[in-house]
Amino acid sequence: MIRAEPWQTAEIPGPLKALIVQKPTTAAGIIKHAKRPLMILGSKIFKIASDQIVDALIQISKTINVQVVVTSGLIKEFEKKGYKVGFMPAMELADRLRDDDWCGLDGKGNYDLAVFIGFQYYYGWLILSGLKHFSREGFKTMSLDPYYQPHATFSLYNMKKEDWCSYILTIRDSLKG
Amino acid sequence: MSRRGLKFKIGELKTDLATFKNLEIYVGKVEEEWEEPLGPSPMPSLTEFRRWDLKLLERYKPFYLPFCDLCCLCTFGKCDLTKDKKGACGIKMDAQQSRIVLLACCIGASTHTGHARELVNFLIERFGRDYPLDLGMGVNVEAPNIRLVCGIKPSTIGDLEEVLNYVEEQIVQLLASTHTGQEGNNLDFESKVLHAGMLDHVAMEVADIAQVAAFGFPKGDPETSLAPLGLGVIDPTKPVILCIGHNVVPSTYILDYLNESGLSDSVEVCGLCCTAHDMTRYSNRAKIVGPISWQLRFIRTGVPDVIVVDEQCIRTDVLDEAAKIGAPLIAASEKACHGLPDRSEDPVDEIVEDLVSGKQKGALILDMEKVGEVAVKVAMRLAPNRRNYKALPSVEEITEEAKKCRKCGECQRACPNSLPVPEAILSAAEGNLSELADLYDFCIACGRCESACPVDIPIISMMVKSSERRVKREIFNVRAGRGPIQDTEIRNVGRPIVLGEIPGIIAFVGCANYADGGKELVEMCEEFLRRRYIAVVSGCAAMTIGMYKNEEGKTLYELYPGDFDAGCLVNVGSCVANSHITGAAIKIANIFAKRPLRANYMEIADYILNRVGAVGIAWGAMSQKAASIASGCWRLGIPVIVGPHGSKYRRMLLGRKDREGDWYVYDARTGRKVYVGPVPEHLFYAAETKEEAMVMAAKLCMRANDTSKGRAIKLTHYIDLYRRFYGRLPDDIHLFVRRVADIPITMKDEILAELERRGWKEMEIPDPTLLEEMIRVVEE
Repeated sequence: MIRAEPWQTAEIPGPLKALIVQKPTTAAGIIKHAKRPLMILGSKIFKIASDQIVDALIQISKTINVQVVVTSGLIKEFEKKGYKVGFMPAMELADRLRDDDWCGLDGKGNYDLAVFIGFQYYYGWLILSGLKHFSREGFKTMSLDPYYQPHATFSLYNMKKEDWCSYILTIRDSLKG
Repeated sequence: MSRRGLKFKIGELKTDLATFKNLEIYVGKVEEEWEEPLGPSPMPSLTEFRRWDLKLLERYKPFYLPFCDLCCLCTFGKCDLTKDKKGACGIKMDAQQSRIVLLACCIGASTHTGHARELVNFLIERFGRDYPLDLGMGVNVEAPNIRLVCGIKPSTIGDLEEVLNYVEEQIVQLLASTHTGQEGNNLDFESKVLHAGMLDHVAMEVADIAQVAAFGFPKGDPETSLAPLGLGVIDPTKPVILCIGHNVVPSTYILDYLNESGLSDSVEVCGLCCTAHDMTRYSNRAKIVGPISWQLRFIRTGVPDVIVVDEQCIRTDVLDEAAKIGAPLIAASEKACHGLPDRSEDPVDEIVEDLVSGKQKGALILDMEKVGEVAVKVAMRLAPNRRNYKALPSVEEITEEAKKCRKCGECQRACPNSLPVPEAILSAAEGNLSELADLYDFCIACGRCESACPVDIPIISMMVKSSERRVKREIFNVRAGRGPIQDTEIRNVGRPIVLGEIPGIIAFVGCANYADGGKELVEMCEEFLRRRYIAVVSGCAAMTIGMYKNEEGKTLYELYPGDFDAGCLVNVGSCVANSHITGAAIKIANIFAKRPLRANYMEIADYILNRVGAVGIAWGAMSQKAASIASGCWRLGIPVIVGPHGSKYRRMLLGRKDREGDWYVYDARTGRKVYVGPVPEHLFYAAETKEEAMVMAAKLCMRANDTSKGRAIKLTHYIDLYRRFYGRLPDDIHLFVRRVADIPITMKDEILAELERRGWKEMEIPDPTLLEEMIRVVEE
């Protein structure tokens, strides 16, 4: 049994809570089946994830053609590593994600799934709350951070770092296969 | 709304007794002569500026970030507001969020107003209603917010009563609108939020100009003294009185009593939070411990012999914390009695005896003179017996405490910044305190970790002990709050600010709820000082900025002058001195641009929005007061950036640069609508990192009226910061370059190539306004 329990103990959500994605293969399936997914990497990504995990996330994006956007100055790190990623500050991006008419980072229209990773817990919590309440019909969010984010549509659960690494690597491998 | 008395003027009156010429009779309040005619909006009601607010909110749309999915404010509820559901009263989530923001701003504005009322009542009782509001030779426009909003030019402390009557009545009306079944539209709630903020700046101004005038605080002096700051500046061998809060009155009596008794050298008087700022404005004997987050840290050292609390931002468990170190607590405000017995009418010696003997843990004393005497006498008698308390736990004790850890991780999950407390405790259990010491810079000392710990490990005390060596080296300084900006300074900088040659005014304000430590704030401040922006600071932020030294051992206050000028660092003072920051922006419109000030709010706000490149950065904003201060800035067209914790204010006010239609203004010369680009792009923005905040601040300083030279300077800073932090040219540069002359000369080729790639076309530079009534000639 896995408890749907927020990582920061006081960040209790209301009636509408994220579905826990217990299996990485399910997470892979959700991303794969989205028509226009976007992966959003926050300013804490290198704090929670090793190079191997960041590399795995980029591989996931390449395998199933997910656009990646970085929200902070870490864009320089990504470019140094040779990753081609977009850039937009998190609050501006979240504001646009709820807008039907936004044409996306590539000009091809808005997204149907936003996957958040690497955010300060409460900052991600609030952005996901804003999107939960004020986003478009059919738009979904997923948190791939190693804890339960109750305002996402789909979230992982509070997990140990080594379990989380294994989870992310399994998503990568299942999509490759 | 009119609150004036009646005035009769009789050219000539002949009676049997005598003939009177030019006889003037006043009924009610005697009005000062003021040449400036009354503007259109004296003492505005809730809806007077709704038209202006809706213009702002059309451009800067709220993006709500609900903190809670429910409404639980009445017994219909709890009501589930998710997925577009309505509550039992019919309210929807967007309106509920703005309603909560309004409640927060009403709390904030009421707090400053309550503070101001208490001060004014006290000062009238002590000095009389006719005590002059003299703010010094250099400050003729003494009350820009009051003049602008109320249409009153206050000349005595008694004149401020009328201002407070107005503010209090309006706050009651605002609060009433949050009742179940009142306001229902989110934008109308937002308009009221802006109203609350505007009132707040009026109330803050009342409080600060009253105390500046009556207590002899510095009057716009750029060269105030450097006040000692930090845990290391307090001499623990002397009796120590710690004052916490925001209302300086009790502290002045303590300082006066010491002075009159010849004991000033024998007793340490130090403060936390804004009371500390104001103590150093009152006396050079006073010392500052630090911002709000130093409260628990300092109490836990056991150094204070007596703790005196007045109002606001006091830990509500201060009585328990004081009792732990055997220090009596004196509560000196009706607003924060802390469950203590009221001893206001008792003889001093009886109160002292009861506190020294430990018969009572504290006392509520509402007689300020008595507070001064009791605090000093108790401190002097207790200090010799409290030596055992003046010590943190030993290393051995810390190790033993750490061994109790059950590894549940609750401390980290309770920590607002998710600090790695469990790892640090485990290391401490093995005798290694360095990891606990490493937390010191990033811990806001809220104590939630301790409260969550199932085995009551005193984590904060252990952290402070682990950092003991550096705590003793906490010897810093802050330039004492100078209060208002002088009119002559405004005259000197008005033109370069409005034309853009001084790239901007950045106000570093707010509390100390930092996501990644206070050093980020110092780095931001120094960056903009080096770039010759005007940096204005206040409150806890001003203290944090003084708490770091460069390699030569100097704080920013020692490196940069205190003038209101390019490349200068201006500490205006405590929370209520924030009114001088908006006041400076208002004075630029009035003194430099000669725009009428009296009851002329919308024109002045329109001027500031389109011409004055001012931005607030409240990096550690925590309180409801910070919310109302920010909303007062928004209504004046001054954007505010907050740190990541500021996202908890529940909504942003965001512009959309990709929507061209949002960025048209009228050209006041022709009446035509002209595209000016997204300037300023947002009104309220929670940045994720300090780098993002710096880039955003530089960008938000751009204004529609910038000259080409000014815009080129502002673009230079924006592009330079963007490139440094993001490694590339900004992707929106084509929106800010209006003419080729706007392009920074050193980047010309590169930017021209970018503009060409974007299909850029030259834009007009209008005489910008959002107000139809400011159009001078209507185009046929």
